Amino acid sequence: MFRIALKGILGRKARLVLTSLAVIIGTAFLAGTSVFSATLNATFNNLFTDVFKNVDAYVRSSQVIEGEFGVQERQRIPAALVEDVLAVPGVKAAAGDIQAFARIVGADGKPLGTDGQGPPTFGGVFTESFVSLWKVVDGRAPKGPNEAVVDEASFQKGKLTIGKPVKIIGQAGSREFTLVGVTSYGDVRSPGGATFALFDLPTASEFLAKPGFVDDILVAGDGSLSDAALSQRITDALTKKIAADSSATAKIETLTGAEITKETQDQIGSALSFFGILLSVFSFIALGVGSFVIYNVFSISAAQRERENALLRAIGASKKQVTRAMLIESLVVGIFGSAVGLVGGIGLSKGLSALLRALSIDIPSSGLVVKTNTIVETLVVGTLVTISSAWLPARRAGKVPPLAAMRSTAVEVIATGRKRTIIGFSVMGVGAAVVAAVVAGASTSLLGLGILLVFIGTIVLGPVIVRPVSLFLGRPAARFRGITGSMARQNSARNPKRTARTASPVLIGVALVTAVTALAASIKGQINDVFTQQLKGNYVVSTNNRGFGGLSPSLATDIAALPEVEAASGIGQIIGKVDGKGQFLTSVSPDTVSSVWNFGLINVDMSALTADSIFISRKKSESKMLPVGSSVTVVLPDATTHRLKVAGLYEQNEFGDYLVSKALSANTTIASFDVGVYIKTNSDVSATKARAALQKAVDKYGQGTLLDKQEYIDKNSGNVNQLLGLIYGLLFLSIIISIVGIIITLLLSVFERQRELGLLRAVGMTRSQVRTTVRWESIITSLLGAALGITLGIGLGWVIVFALRDQGLTTFSLPVGSAVVIVILSFFVGVLAAVYPAWRATKVDILSALNTN
Amino acid sequence: MTTSTLTVAASTKNAFKIYGHGDEAVYALRDVSVDFYEGQFTAIMGPSGSGKSTLMHCIAGLDELTKGSAVIDGVDLSTMKDKALTELRREKIGFIFQSFNLVPTLTADENIRLPLMLGNNKGNEEWIQNVINTVHLRDRLTHRPSELSGGQQQRVAVARALASQPRIIFADEPTGNLDSTTGAEILTFMRKAVDDLNQTIVMVTHDPVAAAYADRIIFLADGHIVDEMTEPTAERVLDRMKSFGN
Ligand SMILES: Nc1ncnc2c1ncn2[C@@H]1O[C@H](COP(=O)(O)OP(=O)(O)O)[C@@H](O)[C@H]1O
Ligand SMILES: [Mg+2]
Repeated sequence: MFRIALKGILGRKARLVLTSLAVIIGTAFLAGTSVFSATLNATFNNLFTDVFKNVDAYVRSSQVIEGEFGVQERQRIPAALVEDVLAVPGVKAAAGDIQAFARIVGADGKPLGTDGQGPPTFGGVFTESFVSLWKVVDGRAPKGPNEAVVDEASFQKGKLTIGKPVKIIGQAGSREFTLVGVTSYGDVRSPGGATFALFDLPTASEFLAKPGFVDDILVAGDGSLSDAALSQRITDALTKKIAADSSATAKIETLTGAEITKETQDQIGSALSFFGILLSVFSFIALGVGSFVIYNVFSISAAQRERENALLRAIGASKKQVTRAMLIESLVVGIFGSAVGLVGGIGLSKGLSALLRALSIDIPSSGLVVKTNTIVETLVVGTLVTISSAWLPARRAGKVPPLAAMRSTAVEVIATGRKRTIIGFSVMGVGAAVVAAVVAGASTSLLGLGILLVFIGTIVLGPVIVRPVSLFLGRPAARFRGITGSMARQNSARNPKRTARTASPVLIGVALVTAVTALAASIKGQINDVFTQQLKGNYVVSTNNRGFGGLSPSLATDIAALPEVEAASGIGQIIGKVDGKGQFLTSVSPDTVSSVWNFGLINVDMSALTADSIFISRKKSESKMLPVGSSVTVVLPDATTHRLKVAGLYEQNEFGDYLVSKALSANTTIASFDVGVYIKTNSDVSATKARAALQKAVDKYGQGTLLDKQEYIDKNSGNVNQLLGLIYGLLFLSIIISIVGIIITLLLSVFERQRELGLLRAVGMTRSQVRTTVRWESIITSLLGAALGITLGIGLGWVIVFALRDQGLTTFSLPVGSAVVIVILSFFVGVLAAVYPAWRATKVDILSALNTN
Repeated sequence: MTTSTLTVAASTKNAFKIYGHGDEAVYALRDVSVDFYEGQFTAIMGPSGSGKSTLMHCIAGLDELTKGSAVIDGVDLSTMKDKALTELRREKIGFIFQSFNLVPTLTADENIRLPLMLGNNKGNEEWIQNVINTVHLRDRLTHRPSELSGGQQQRVAVARALASQPRIIFADEPTGNLDSTTGAEILTFMRKAVDDLNQTIVMVTHDPVAAAYADRIIFLADGHIVDEMTEPTAERVLDRMKSFGN
C-alpha cells in the first residue's frame, strides 16, 4: 500500500505541488515569524552585550516605582558620587551616565525623529572613558556648557556642520550649542534608529536631567577583583559616604556588568515578546486558515480519485488500506510542504528585517537566527496539521463502494445533507444563545465560547448557504456577462462543499478584519464624543512622550501669559505608589485646569485639590472602596510618603483614576513635565492670530505639537491606528492564503472539468470566454466569503464592543467604509486568483478532452 | 461520383495527418481528398483506427492537418487562427459527439442555445422552436443533463447542432452509446433534418445499420479512402465491409 501511495504522489506531481502549496503557506508564516522574533531578540541581546562590554559594575538608585504597563521611574543619584566611586580601590574607570529626552534640530529647522512615535530621541553624556563605547569619528569631544556632539546618522540626516551652531531641544526647553564633533557607538552609526545628542557631564546633567545628578554610574574594574566583589565594595563605600552626609537621602545599589546586561536584555525581551506573541497569533491564524485549504485539496483529490480508489477496493484493498494510502500521501506532503515552508519562512523573515530597515529602524544585523526549536516546531506542526486536515477526506476515500468503479463519472458527492443543516443550525443557535445570555447579563467570559460556536456553525452551514448565496451573488455576472457569467454562477454553486471550503479562508480573514475594524471605528467614535465633551478649550499642545520626557512646565505658564489666551493649563503625569501599587497620577494645577478641561467633578470644586488631598474616579472609588473622606497613602519616586485625603470624585477617567495637585510634587527631585497644555483663547481674537501666537510660543520650546480641537481629537483617534497595523497584518495574511486557496481549487476544478471545457471549446467558446468564466467563478467565490465574513465580522465586532462596555465603550459604529473596501478587495482577490487557472483552462486540448473516457 | 447540381459544403485535398516522426510516424490520414455536398447525409465508415475521427476533426477545425488543405464554406482552415476557428465552429458547424455532449450545469434549453449564446446571438426563435418540436424535447427543456436519459441527451445534442442553422453538422458515432431503438430514433431525426430542413450532415460510424441512413458512404481504411457507396442499405454495407476483410 505504501508503494501505491508513493506512486500516487509521484504520478501526479502537479497535485503534489498544489497540495504542498497550502502547507507551505501556512508553515512559512510560522517559521518566518519565529525566525524573525529570534533574530530580533538576538540582535538586541548582542547590542546590550556590547553596551555593557567594559562595564564591571553599575551604580544606580535603588528607589524605583513601577507604574502600569511596565513603566518605571527610578530616582537619580548625585553626580558627585562618581568621584567617590573612582576613589574605591580596584576601580579603573567610572563615568556618570544620563539617558534623557533630547531632540536634535536639523539645519532646515526641523527636529529629527518623531514626537513619541518610532525610535526614541536621546540625550546623554559623552565621556572618553574605558566604560563608554561612544567614540569620536570626526571633530572632537564636547567640553563646557556650549558644546555638543551628535551621532553619525543624525549628523547626516540633519545636514549639520561641525563648528556651526546646532539647536537641541531638551526637557527644559531648547538651547543652541556649537556642534564640535560626530560620534558613533562602537561601530554602529545610530543604535536602534534612535538619535543621540551628547554633552559633557555637567552640561548633560544641567540641561537634560537635574543639575548635579546622573542616572547611573558605569564602572570598570582594574581586574584585581571579581565583578561581584567590586560591586560589593562600591556599595559599601557609597553607603558609608551617604550616611556621613546627613542631608543626603539617596539610596544606591550596585549591579555587576552581567546583571545589568541581563536585566536590560530581559526588559527588551519582554517588550519584544509581546510583538513575538502577536506574530505567532498571526501565524497560527495563517496555519488554521491554511488547514481549510489543505482539507479542501485532499477532499477534491479524493473525489477525483474515486474511481481509482473504487478499483482498488474492487480488486481487494480494504477500507483501511485505501485510507492509509491517502494518509501516507498526506504525510509525505506534510513533510515536504513543511520543509519548503521552513525555507520560505526564513526568506520571509529576511523580508521582515528588510522592511524594518526600510522604515529606517537601523538594527545592527547579527545574521538570521534559526533555532532548532523553530525547525522542529515547523516540521512537526506543519505535518500534524496536514495529516489531520487529510483525515476526514482519507476516511471518506476508504468508504468508497467498489461499485463506484463502474460509474461513468466521478464527482464529489454534492448533496448537502439535512443532517448538516440541523447540526449547523443547532451549533450556531447554541452559540447565539450563549452570546445573547452574555448580552442579557451572564458572565462575559462565556463570550469567547459563544463566538466560537457561531463560527463553527457558520462553517458547518457553509455548504448549505453557498448555493443560494452564490447564485444570488452571481446574478450581476449572469446579467452582464451573458452565458459565460451565467455558467460561472452555476459553477460556483455546483459543488457547494468545495466552494464553501474555498471561501472559508476569505470568510475567516474578512470576519476578523471586519470585527477589528468595527472595534477601531467604535473606539474612534467614542474618543470623538469624549473629547468633544471634555475639552473646554480650543487648542492643545500635545506630546506623545508619556512616561519619557514631555513638555516643560513653563510652557503652560508662558502660554497663559499671552494676551490672546484666556486660560491655559498644563496637565502632567507622575508615577506613584497608591496604597502600595504603582499607578499613574494625573497632576493638575487646580486653579486653572477647570477652565480648559472638564473632569466631570461630582459635587466638588477643583479648589479642594491641594497638596494634602487627592481626587479619585468614581469607578475606582467604588471598586477600591475609597469614599470621599477616606485616606490613601501615596509614595512618590523620591521615596517620600504622603497621606492624602480623598477630597472628591470625578466621572471622566480619560486621564486615569487619580488626580493630584501639582503642589504635591513641587520642590521634589521628581522630574515634572506636562503631557499636554490645554488652551482656551480669547473669543475676540481671530483663529489665525491666536494660532500664530501660540505657535510662536511652542516653537520657542521646540516641544510638542500645536493642535486645534479637531486635530487633537483626530490625533487621539490616531492612536487607534495601532489597531490598524493589526488589521493590515490580518488582511494581508488572509488575502495571501485566500488567493492561494482559490488558485488551488480552481486549478483542480479545471483539471476535473477538462471534458466540459473541451466540449465548450468545440462548440464555439473562445479562449477569452473560457477565461471570463473561470474569472467570474473565482470572483463569486471570493465575494461569497467576503459577504459572509462581513456579516459575521459585524456581529463579532458588536459583541466585542459590547463586552468592552465596562471599559467605557458605549457606542458601536458600523465600519461601512471598510466593508466597501473589503468587498472591492475581495473582488480583486477573485480576479487575481483566477489568472493562472483561467490560463490553464484555455490550454485544455480540445481533442484529448473529448477523447478521454 | 460527380453531379453538377451539388454544391460542396466542405472538402479536403491531399490531406495528410501524421503523428510522430521518423520510424514511429503514424499516418492517420494519407492523401485524402474528399468533398461533402450540401443537403446530403454522408457517413464515414471504416474499422477502428482507420482515421475516421481524425478526418472529421480536421475538417471541423478541431485539429490541424499535417499536409494538404481542408475547406469549409470556401475558407481554407489552415489560414485561420484559434479565435477565427472558434467562431467558425460556433457559427458554421454543429457537433454531435458520442458521449458527454452537454454542459452539466446548463438546462436542456440552455444547452440547445449554447453556441448561439456564446456568440451573443439570439438566433431564429421560430426555427429553434421548430427544432425542439422535431426532437420532442418540449417537456424536458428545464431539465439538466443529469436528469435526462442517454437518448434524451443525444436528442438535446442533435437539437443544439441544428439550432444555430450551421452550414454543416459533424457527428462522431452519435449512437455509439445508445441501444438500437434509441439509436434509430436519433438517426431518424438526423435523416429528417436532411430531408425536411435541407441540413448537411457528416457522420462517423462503424455501424452498418447507422450508415444505412446516409445518402452516401465514404469507406476509410488505414488512412485511405478505399471506397464509396451511394443510397446504401445495411446489407450492402455489410457485404462491402466483409469484402475489406474486416
Ligand atoms: N494523438 C494521437 N497521437 C498518436 N496517434 C494518434 C493520435 N490520435 C490518433 N492517433 C492514431 O491515428 C489513427 C487514427 O485514429 P482515429 O482517427 O481516432 O481512428 P478511428 O476514429 O477511425 O477509430 C490511429 O492509428 C490512432 O492510433
Ligand atoms: Mg473514432
